[in-house]
Amino acid sequence: MKKEDSAKLIIANKEGASQFNENETLAAELVIANKELDFRNEEKENRAAELIIANKELIFQNEEKENRAAELIIANKELAFQNEERAHRAAELIIANKELIFQNEEKEKRASELIIANKELAFQNEEKGKRAEELNIANKELAFQNREKEKRANELLIANSALKVAQDNIRKLNDELEQKVIERTAQLEAVNKELESFSYSVSHDLRAPIRAINGYTKIIAEDYGDKFDADGIKILQSVMNNSKKMGELIDDLLAFSKLGRKSVAFADIDMVELVATVREELLFEGDGNIPDFKIAALPAAKGDKSLIKQVWVNLISNAIKYASHKKNTTITIDSYTKDKLNVYYVKDEGAGFDMQYYDKLFGVFQRLHSQEEFEGTGIGLAIVQKIINKHNGTVWAESTLNIGSCFYFSLNHTTN
Amino acid sequence: MDYDYDNVEILFVEDSIDDAALTIRALNKSGSTNKLYHVKDGAAALDFIYCRGDFENRKPKEFPKLILLDLKMPKISGIQVLEKLKSDPETKSIPIVMLTSSNEGPDIEKCFSLGVNSYIVKPVDSDNFFKAIKEIGLYWMVTSQSPN
Repeated sequence: MKKEDSAKLIIANKEGASQFNENETLAAELVIANKELDFRNEEKENRAAELIIANKELIFQNEEKENRAAELIIANKELAFQNEERAHRAAELIIANKELIFQNEEKEKRASELIIANKELAFQNEEKGKRAEELNIANKELAFQNREKEKRANELLIANSALKVAQDNIRKLNDELEQKVIERTAQLEAVNKELESFSYSVSHDLRAPIRAINGYTKIIAEDYGDKFDADGIKILQSVMNNSKKMGELIDDLLAFSKLGRKSVAFADIDMVELVATVREELLFEGDGNIPDFKIAALPAAKGDKSLIKQVWVNLISNAIKYASHKKNTTITIDSYTKDKLNVYYVKDEGAGFDMQYYDKLFGVFQRLHSQEEFEGTGIGLAIVQKIINKHNGTVWAESTLNIGSCFYFSLNHTTN
Repeated sequence: MDYDYDNVEILFVEDSIDDAALTIRALNKSGSTNKLYHVKDGAAALDFIYCRGDFENRKPKEFPKLILLDLKMPKISGIQVLEKLKSDPETKSIPIVMLTSSNEGPDIEKCFSLGVNSYIVKPVDSDNFFKAIKEIGLYWMVTSQSPN
């Protein structure tokens, strides 16, 4: 339309050209107006293009909004699901809550108990604190004592080493002593052996020739007696008596030496029975003047029965022998107790002896009377003493010449 | 040794000529009529019993009724003879009496443990000696009964 207006204008213009001069001003005005119109047209075209662009933009925005709505729907669904989940969770939380409440209560109870226990512990703690204090003091005391003991230990250590030296010396001496004892024992054993074989030889070798002398003398007296006068017979008798006596001496000596080697077998001894037996045996052997016996109830003793019997035999036979020259004498056998020992005694009213020779009384082959007065070899009391000594006892005597003697011996009444 | 050694009733084993003479006299004096044969040591005693050496012609197993045996002798001692005869079943029932000078304990114990029948310590005193020998002869030859 606008183009047709323009064309009409252009024809109007050409018709007016003739009028150019006149019309030139008008034309210039028209050109300007035209240019204005051109400009406006251009502006409108630009506006339209801008509108198209804006429209396209709006369409795009619309699309975007649609997309967003679809996304919102999905998100919405998701939220609904989450909502449901939360509802479940809430129910669970309610249950859990209840449980927690219960546990809480329990913990409260426990807490109150713990408070009580705590107080107790606090009290105990205090007590322990006190005790610790005491212990601390005691500890200090102990530490002090320990130090003292250490000092003492050191002193003892020194003393100990001194003692050890002394002990070593003693041991050495002991060893030497032991060696000496071994040597001496061996020597003693050798001597003892020698003595034994010596007594054996004495027993066998000396007895045989004496027996021969005695026997042959007897044969001379028996077979050739008629060829001797009274003096000759008397001499033969003396040879026999002396050889017999020598035999007795050898036998006594052997008995005495054998006693030294005999070991003592300790047992209970009924002294009443033993003394009665000995008395019977002696009276059976004996002849002539028999004294009266006054025998008390004697206590039992510990000892070697055969040896103690020998003691009684020797003492009682002595009592009988040394009173044999007197009429109506009494032998008293009795005992008493002294210092846990039984002291037994045999008292006679016989010849007695002079106390100034007392030290010879118990010697081997020692006699205080002549052979003519009273027979004997002088071994009896030596044997008595040896036996009693072997029993760790003692033997002693009292006597008054021509009045009588009393012989005592002591024995343990319990085991040694 | 010129004795006839058959039918011997007492075998007397003694090395001491004196003791032998006194013992034989004592037995004769006591009226013993038993035939006695004297040998001077233990070896001869065993030869006699077992019919060996000098006695090989003796009738075997004809044992005496009694053996008087001294303890201490040369060669074979009385204890060895005793031990041998008492351990042999053939000879152990022959009565054996030890005649000895020893009164030492161990010998006595040893002899009894070996089975000796009697043990006599010869007395020094001739009266007692004769008495002892007489009693031995009487007891073992007359009183005592042997197993056979």
